[in-house]
Amino acid sequence: MIKKIVFYSGLMILVAGLSMAQVWKAPDQEKAKERAKERVKFVKEYKNEDIILHKMALVEKGITHKDITENYFLLDSPIIKEREDHYGPVRFAHKRHAALIEDCTACHHYRPKDESMSETTRCSACHQDSFNPEHPERIGLKAAFHQQCTECHQEKQDGPVTCTGCHLKNVPDHKDLVKLADGADAFEVTAECLRCHDQAGEDMLKTAHWNWRGPSPFTVEHRKDVQHGKGTTALNNY
Amino acid sequence: MQLTRRNFFKFMGVTGASAAAAPSSAQAWQSKAPPDPYGCLVDLTRCIGCRKCEEGCATVNKLPAPVKATCDCTVFEKKRRPDVNAFTTVNRYFSGKLDVLDKPSPTYVKVQCMHCQDPACVSACISGAITKKENGTVHYNVDRCIGCRYCMVACPFEIPAYEYHDPITPEVRKCTFCFDRISKEGGLPGCATICPVEAITFGKRETLLKLAKQRIKSDPNKYVDHIYGEKEVGGTSWLYVSSVPFSKLSFPELPETPSPKLAETIQHSLFSYLWSPILLFGFLGGMMYKFDKKDENTQDKGGA
Amino acid sequence: MDHKASPLNRKFWTPGVYVMLVFMIAGFLAILARFTGGIGYVSNLSAARPWGLWVGVDVATGVALAAGGFTTAALAHIFGRHSYEPVIRPALLTAMLGYTFVVLGLLVDIGRSWAIWKPVFFWNTNSVLFEVAMCVMVYLHVLYFEFIPIVVEQFKDKVRLPGILELLNGPIEMFLKVADVVASKMMWILIILGVVLSCMHQSSLGSLMLIAPTKIHPLWYTPIMPLLFLVSAFAVGYPMVVFETTLVTSSFKLDSEMSILTPLTRITIFLLGLYMLLKFGDMFVRGTYVYLLDGTYQTNSFIVEVLFGILVPWLMLVSTKIRQTRIGVFTAATMIVFGVALNRINVFIVGYTSPITEGGYFPSIVEIFVTLGLIATLMFIYRFVVTFLPVLQAAPEPITSEEVSS
Repeated sequence: MIKKIVFYSGLMILVAGLSMAQVWKAPDQEKAKERAKERVKFVKEYKNEDIILHKMALVEKGITHKDITENYFLLDSPIIKEREDHYGPVRFAHKRHAALIEDCTACHHYRPKDESMSETTRCSACHQDSFNPEHPERIGLKAAFHQQCTECHQEKQDGPVTCTGCHLKNVPDHKDLVKLADGADAFEVTAECLRCHDQAGEDMLKTAHWNWRGPSPFTVEHRKDVQHGKGTTALNNY
Repeated sequence: MQLTRRNFFKFMGVTGASAAAAPSSAQAWQSKAPPDPYGCLVDLTRCIGCRKCEEGCATVNKLPAPVKATCDCTVFEKKRRPDVNAFTTVNRYFSGKLDVLDKPSPTYVKVQCMHCQDPACVSACISGAITKKENGTVHYNVDRCIGCRYCMVACPFEIPAYEYHDPITPEVRKCTFCFDRISKEGGLPGCATICPVEAITFGKRETLLKLAKQRIKSDPNKYVDHIYGEKEVGGTSWLYVSSVPFSKLSFPELPETPSPKLAETIQHSLFSYLWSPILLFGFLGGMMYKFDKKDENTQDKGGA
Repeated sequence: MDHKASPLNRKFWTPGVYVMLVFMIAGFLAILARFTGGIGYVSNLSAARPWGLWVGVDVATGVALAAGGFTTAALAHIFGRHSYEPVIRPALLTAMLGYTFVVLGLLVDIGRSWAIWKPVFFWNTNSVLFEVAMCVMVYLHVLYFEFIPIVVEQFKDKVRLPGILELLNGPIEMFLKVADVVASKMMWILIILGVVLSCMHQSSLGSLMLIAPTKIHPLWYTPIMPLLFLVSAFAVGYPMVVFETTLVTSSFKLDSEMSILTPLTRITIFLLGLYMLLKFGDMFVRGTYVYLLDGTYQTNSFIVEVLFGILVPWLMLVSTKIRQTRIGVFTAATMIVFGVALNRINVFIVGYTSPITEGGYFPSIVEIFVTLGLIATLMFIYRFVVTFLPVLQAAPEPITSEEVSS
């Protein structure tokens, strides 16, 4: 009974702590999240024109990379997530890319036929769900991102080309993965972590956190012996 | 020989009549391909060899995780074939093509069941365990399978794998075309869903053929002018386009005749309505009767 | 007819029988391994090589070499050549046992042996294998029915079961009587049916590989493969009878029956000649002779098959001098049997190349033991049956009744 009370009170404190932590949110990140959730109307027809004509049109209208307001986008469209959710969303630094390339048409390759629409409409206006039977030639949003990014990175020999170069892996829910008995001690917890993350354990042994051996003998009374630190008088071994 | 004459005449009457009627009914061979099947177009120029399709396939079909799943390139050192635990595999080929930096550029090839329009395995299967579905799937039903492996003999792509290490209940295993998924509205095969670059395009075969032709036409320098699967063995539901000739990528060179055509033509022209066995039966009966009668005059009947 | 067929009543356990027993035990252990570890555990079969020794030899060759049954039946019963009747019973027994072992071989080879009945209910009439299976199934039953008179002849009015089983004497006697009457009434249908079914599946066995044009070497892959299989089955029927009759008669020291065997070989000249004509004609029409000098193991195997399995024995039979000697006829017959057996092995094993996976196939030791074990069992049962049932009819050398095993 007492155990239960302790457990629940602990839980409540934890929840309270978490909700306290959520008070502050990064405003730009929230904005990016909101933007990523938006769905825009599908552009059925586009101008299949030479890229030069497109560039000229941009010049005429005075649209340049300097017009960009957002620092970054979160490429996290529900269009993709509906089908699968394999990796964490990519933080695409729109402004930075634009500043480096200084050419909108490198990515905004076509423009909508409808003149009233933006010349540099967003990717998801044209590229939505994959394999649209009415537009078989139009690739889906996920493929559009991947093809556009990877191809350019490869060509320019700049920028990541591997999966985790851009994505964070989705961290799986550890609730089902961790198998610990009630009241496991520190060593058991460590062993359980190492069951999957043995590489992380190896890496840990090479870090200062592990190798630190207390105050330098040269600073404290010039003694040669080592007194503290995880390598010696450690509090725990993880 | 105990041959009652009256019975014999009765029997001969029937056989003669049916034999006369039958030969005309042996028809020319007709394709049994579904009219508007689904398919997949694999664009080898797009494939980056990430092997996510293997992963997606394993998840969807509840198979063990692919070997060296995490982008380990040593996996490409050996050519892998689909097997009982992996319905699709990606292999790497260096065909002499160079990339922008003059380095050998790899071509990755995904292998799986081609889901032929007139599948040899379907024609071969002794008990109809393999069927070609309306949606294009070549579907295996283990409940009818006897494990004879004739499908494997017949398959020109060498796709069906077999649980050789199961002594009593081995199954034939191959790409399912995610039959249950694509049977639902908007459903996609696992590999096509997960492919990051849409190297696999899912759709109606007709649409995909048009799309493939369009891609080749719009970029003739990039593609070889060949849609693998358009005509091979009478056409397959899965189609491939490539920048490298298919012969360099372990694609078997195949005739345009559907594999079952010859055997089925012979079988059906000989055995439809069992006309030839009945005719033969009648002929042999006639011979037996003739010689039996001749014998009666000379000697006693010989016992069987 | 000089004498009736009768049980041999010889000593059953001879050294040869013990050798057979050793092979049978080895085969049994091999089959045990097959059904515990799986086909993959004991054989060299793979996805690229789904069919091997068991299909090529136990099934395809087994069916071909059992052709003596229907060819002799047709000759003696349908075309009224009653002088050949002495060889009918042994040929029938060979066919019956041969087909039984085809089915046993299949049970080992197919993965889901317990499901072998499924094609009876789930039909695929497009499947060549379906037709073959149905024919073999029905034909096996026909063969068993054809064998009934032989059993009846031996036991009718002689059922004497000991002890408590005595009660069964009456019913068994009744059953035999009924079986005798039914069998003799049905016999003409059975005989014709047997020939028809044989023609059907012997030819269809040749259609089996038509579905894999890219896998079978062009020297064998021809649209007339079913015709070649049928004609070669005709051609091998009588040589097979000659082969086994000579073996049996010399093994049991019986009359050599040359009076029957020599005329049989005359028919063989025609049938084998037809087969040879078709085989060579096909090769020239399709222009496949260009492969002959490739020097690969496949083309060499073809040359051996055609040369020593068809051409040489045919020439031997054409020569009257050789045809009249027992050893000459036996040699020629053996070569023909070898030629047709090699043809089946060539079509199903040697001529089969995977278009994708490299590497050949050679049967594993366990596969071989299974096949040898099955053949030994077949011979064992053959010996058992001819010892105790009236199958062979040959002039017996006097044998004392004490030697009859109890």
